[in-house]
Amino acid sequence: MSIKRSLSTLTLSGFTLSALLILSFINILLQNVATNIERAGDGLLKLNSSEGVANVVTTVVVYFRGFDTLGEIAVLFIASLGVGLMLERNTECTIKVQSNFMLQSASKLLFPIIIIFGLYVMIYGHLSPGGGFQGGVLVASAVLLLLISNKDLEVPHAVISALETLAGVSYVLIGLMGLLLSDVFLFNFLSPNIADFGLLLSGGIIPIVYIIVGIKVGSEMGFIVQNLLKRSDDV
Amino acid sequence: MFEFFNSPEVINIIVIIGSMLLFFVGLFGLLTQKHIIKIFMSIAIMETAVYLFFIGSLFKLDAIAPIMKVADDTSKFNDPIPHAMILTAIVIAMAVFALGVSFAIEYYKLSGKTNIDTMNEMRH
Repeated sequence: MSIKRSLSTLTLSGFTLSALLILSFINILLQNVATNIERAGDGLLKLNSSEGVANVVTTVVVYFRGFDTLGEIAVLFIASLGVGLMLERNTECTIKVQSNFMLQSASKLLFPIIIIFGLYVMIYGHLSPGGGFQGGVLVASAVLLLLISNKDLEVPHAVISALETLAGVSYVLIGLMGLLLSDVFLFNFLSPNIADFGLLLSGGIIPIVYIIVGIKVGSEMGFIVQNLLKRSDDV
Repeated sequence: MFEFFNSPEVINIIVIIGSMLLFFVGLFGLLTQKHIIKIFMSIAIMETAVYLFFIGSLFKLDAIAPIMKVADDTSKFNDPIPHAMILTAIVIAMAVFALGVSFAIEYYKLSGKTNIDTMNEMRH
């Protein structure tokens, strides 16, 4: 028996064996997948109707896991700090390619629309799909459009750092006020009224905290985008 | 014949096997590619497979998105926990990707290399 023939029989038997294994795996999965399990989110959905806002995901992210969100935007801050440390040292190289006329005139039309949509997603994050993270990324994408259309433009560093510092400090201050008025960090001291459920002014501190998260994410993403864009053309 | 695909077991299995396939596409790229940006993109594909698995394995056909109109109806909504977890995971993955790409750009500026087999400055 030649090596080639034995290899081909080995391959064939291997394929057959693996197909049988996959089929039996699918069969086991089909018989054992739990369909009517008690979900972990059912308790949160019940709790949400008394002390949450209309969008349950926003309640989980900002209120039930608010301390985790504080850590998350700290991770995002450290990442943007690392990007700045890596790429901001030599400031003489900027974008060399001139953008064309179509991009320049379209960016003037699209920039206010994207900014308004980003602010809408940020402010209505407790009533509709969206929120601070998504709205912040939308605002940063508008900044990206402005930066690639106009090569001389540079978002001033002082504005970005002032916005980011203000947002971070006010997040921690809101949490500490909850600690002061009750014994819980990020306690909802504005006491949401159940009659206001689904209105814009509802939910106590939850929409305020999500707008703060949006400002912080937007400024950090704008910083990362600006650094990556200014440096990426000369490599 | 397509009613077979509407049963929740079959949908769960499609999600599990599809996300596993996507995960192994990313793992194959991670193990075989030599360009450092392609390695970061493979890690991003693997993260996408994990997001699909988390969202899809707790997905129900007759349930709607967890946005309440009135304060007291709770039964017909999807589970909000995987959405919140994946929202966190997406932001962290984006931060890691941006930091890795900036490291790669700075390393290329200093040494002119993108192939990971030739990155041997620390060996001697």
